[in-house]
Amino acid sequence: MNRLLYVLEETLSSLRKNVILAVAAVAVVAVSLGILGLVVLGVNVLSNTIKNSESKVGEINIYLKDEVTETERVEMQRVIESMPEVNKEKIAYKSKADALNEFKSQHPDNPELWELLEENPLPASFVVVTLDPAKVGEVANRLGEDPAFQGKYERIKTASPVIEKLENVYEKFRYVGFLVVIVLAVVSILLVSVTIQVAIFARRREIAVMKLVGATNWFIRWPFLTEGMLEGLAGAFIAILTVFVVKVWLWNPLKESLAFLRMTMSESLLWVLVPVIILGGIIIGAFGSFVALRRFLEV
Amino acid sequence: MIRMRRVTKIYKGNIYALEDVTIDIEKGEFVFLVGPSGSGKSTFIKLLIKEEEPTSGQIYIADNNIGELRKWKVPYLRRKIGCVFQDFRLLPHKTVFQNVAFAMEVTGKSRHLIEQQVPEVLKLVGLGHKLDAFPDELSGGEQQRVSIARAFINRPPILLADEPTGNVDPSLATGIVKLLEKINSVGTTVIMATHDKEIVNTFRKRVIALENGRVIRDQDRGVYGYE
Repeated sequence: MNRLLYVLEETLSSLRKNVILAVAAVAVVAVSLGILGLVVLGVNVLSNTIKNSESKVGEINIYLKDEVTETERVEMQRVIESMPEVNKEKIAYKSKADALNEFKSQHPDNPELWELLEENPLPASFVVVTLDPAKVGEVANRLGEDPAFQGKYERIKTASPVIEKLENVYEKFRYVGFLVVIVLAVVSILLVSVTIQVAIFARRREIAVMKLVGATNWFIRWPFLTEGMLEGLAGAFIAILTVFVVKVWLWNPLKESLAFLRMTMSESLLWVLVPVIILGGIIIGAFGSFVALRRFLEV
Repeated sequence: MIRMRRVTKIYKGNIYALEDVTIDIEKGEFVFLVGPSGSGKSTFIKLLIKEEEPTSGQIYIADNNIGELRKWKVPYLRRKIGCVFQDFRLLPHKTVFQNVAFAMEVTGKSRHLIEQQVPEVLKLVGLGHKLDAFPDELSGGEQQRVSIARAFINRPPILLADEPTGNVDPSLATGIVKLLEKINSVGTTVIMATHDKEIVNTFRKRVIALENGRVIRDQDRGVYGYE
């Protein structure tokens, strides 16, 4: 109990004595952990968005010319069914009437759009889903070159180029994000270490006397370690606050105004992030003090 | 209590601080370690508290070879040896009471014990009325008494004093040595390094004389002997 009180008293008085440096260290810890939190959430949003769209990724739309006959259409369906990459249960044929009905139900507020039409301009189509989304391009090409399809379709549409771009962004975001976090973590360790060095220097006479009267090494080290860990912890709390503020004031409105992008965030991730950030703060603080103690406190 | 066997200490640059020193100091002895500056007195003391390691030879304290002592055990060695220096080494922002209490705090003694023993020991050194004074409000002699109180508070079996009268007014120096004599009288082994001829000749204790790192004289009830 005495020991604990002693360590706390020493830690707080030392923090008071070098407030400016301590504040700087806390701020840098907060920035690096805050960015860690935002990067993790950003990665999560991006990957969710990609997953949402990937349910459409495996989709190929083959728009048919109006003059395609019933027998030709059956032959086409047979060709599609014969391909091993295709999910046989999800092959769908949309007639011109189906397409128009779908269009009507998607735009119920604008009846004039179709009431003015004299004839149905929408093509009939096949909707094909591949088992592996990565095979979309290949399947689309082979269908386009198949004799049964020659001259009988308007165009074949796949969603994959958009997704590829998104995946590219996702990869880059992940790497750059975590690289920035690592660099900032190293910087914050160094800054914590500087504050501890200053604290050691400020108390060098006391330390000399402590050694003289037989204080153990850990007795001398503890106040400095707790000082570093406290700085890390304070930074962690600020980071958590920042992440929540961003989530509530920035993310929630953004999500609503960009609802068509179908972006989602796994809310449970926030509750994993809190202990991770706290632990990160403590580790940065402890490691920073450790570096300083290693270099400047020969006990 | 203390045994040195063929102890040699060579500092960087081939400087011999101590050379082939073999000496026995028994429990309860009072020893003056004399010699001109640079003769090896301070090195002698630094070796005993393991602030320096001997280049060769063995040092035994209470029959333990301190050369074989693990690093983490060094603090426990130092608790058995009180140290007093010429420059007092008091903490300026702590009161007399706090300075002495500090030595008990860092060795994990309870508040209760500290409240009880610190005033007792400060009374013993004649500063019972100055518990709340700060070091810079005291004379050199008084500061040295505080530092002796701090060295003695944990009742170490050995007390080392390196030129304890060096920064003390000559008229008060005798008082400091009398205080060390008092501490010696309760069974503490006292080793005092000094080049104060008057004091050595007045007190007539065992004298170990060093010159250029060698023991040139070891004499009971000796005198200073240098001119």
